[in-house]
Amino acid sequence: MEQFFTRSEHVQNIIKGFNLTKTLFVSSIIIGEAHTGKKLLARSLFPDAYVVSGENQEAVEDALQTYDELIITDFEKLSNQESLNFDNKRIIATANYVGNKHIIDTLFAFIYTLPPLKERPEDTEYIKAHFVKEAEENLMLSAHDIPLSAMPVNLSKNSQSLKSAIYKYLMTHAMNQKDIQEAIHSYILKNLDGNNGYKEYIGLYEKPLIEAGLEKFGSQLQLSQILGINRNTLRKKIHEHGID
Amino acid sequence: MNTESINFQSFVDWDNSPFILFSSLGKILYLNNAAEILFGYVTKKELFDLALAYAPQDFGHKTTTMSLNYDSFTFYAITIGYENEDQISIRFYNAPRVRPATPIERDKLVNTDINLLLEANIALFRTKNSNALQLLTDHDIPEFKIDQNNFSKLLRKTLEAFRASDSIHITLKLLTGEHVIIDGKKKPIVQLSVEANGRYSDADEEIKNIATHCHIAHLLKERSIKLEIPLIG
Repeated sequence: MEQFFTRSEHVQNIIKGFNLTKTLFVSSIIIGEAHTGKKLLARSLFPDAYVVSGENQEAVEDALQTYDELIITDFEKLSNQESLNFDNKRIIATANYVGNKHIIDTLFAFIYTLPPLKERPEDTEYIKAHFVKEAEENLMLSAHDIPLSAMPVNLSKNSQSLKSAIYKYLMTHAMNQKDIQEAIHSYILKNLDGNNGYKEYIGLYEKPLIEAGLEKFGSQLQLSQILGINRNTLRKKIHEHGID
Repeated sequence: MNTESINFQSFVDWDNSPFILFSSLGKILYLNNAAEILFGYVTKKELFDLALAYAPQDFGHKTTTMSLNYDSFTFYAITIGYENEDQISIRFYNAPRVRPATPIERDKLVNTDINLLLEANIALFRTKNSNALQLLTDHDIPEFKIDQNNFSKLLRKTLEAFRASDSIHITLKLLTGEHVIIDGKKKPIVQLSVEANGRYSDADEEIKNIATHCHIAHLLKERSIKLEIPLIG
């Protein structure tokens, strides 16, 4: 059974409301941005409920005829909302946004709003740790030497962007010289074309080299000594690559 | 017709209209059952002053038509009478309750613990508001038949009217001695009262419509909303 974890008081109140009405015939909707956990929440609270997507209007109508307990996902995509009859049924709908406020207000007894992850910092920390663990298992690598606080937090698309950022970070930080060479090889093989390839693709190596060097050694003078190149050459390359 | 041997007291006792007999100093000499309930919502002094203000000029009885509201009680007239200097009576005429145009949709009624719906709606309210909220409820109210979906909507809209209020007091209780007639049968009444220092009234019409549809009497005031829910078994 899927489980929904939360430390957010707001979400705990949503769960409380659902748990109290679990056996009743009421219609509820959870509204919130994409990838905030609406579907997971609905499925974890009603594991036996039939799930149907609002993308398929016919399937929703059929399911309403057959089931008394029903999860309707992507409710905002249903075009025939007005004609739905939820009488004596336990409906749990999820929607990314409120389409027609009046229809939602008429159809649903309980209208819950699931806040985005940026408003749930306590949940974000938990989900982040969960994704790190998951990535370690899936990518078969160890992230023990990387503190959790160093991991990037991208909440622009809630859990989707958070997960993507963590996977990318762990993958890039686990790469050795051979992996990096393979990655560049694959990239160049795919993209190399035209008549100025050397200049275009040398940046793949030069830009991170200079950026990391500046970050590590602070001054251009010191970096030019470390790299064993002329200071003017370094300055020219900084300018070429648009390094701030 | 000789009526001297007839004892009328029990008829007055059980009359649905409140009846009170005051002494000339405003002391209550007698009150029937309906008046006893009425005193839960209005002071003795207020009713005595009313009796004096509308008393006939001379011995006898005088009926005055007026609209009177005490909480959920609505009267359309009063009769004041005195036959000597020591006693004065007041009788209230109940205004008929407006009967909902739609019959009860029995197929939508499901045995429900009303406390569950109330607590779930408070949880929903809590997701949007952090106002101080006090709940006084009677967990011994038996399960009764409710249109769960519509009643939940009614609760949601009722609580939302207090979204910006301070110190909200919610009381759920069985009204002792009060009944409502549904389909020709006497049904006990459960009263939900929500009170605060003020409230929004933007959804009052919707609240009234849903309540009427569910056969729930409603009393919407500046600072409170009271719902009288028939306990349909």
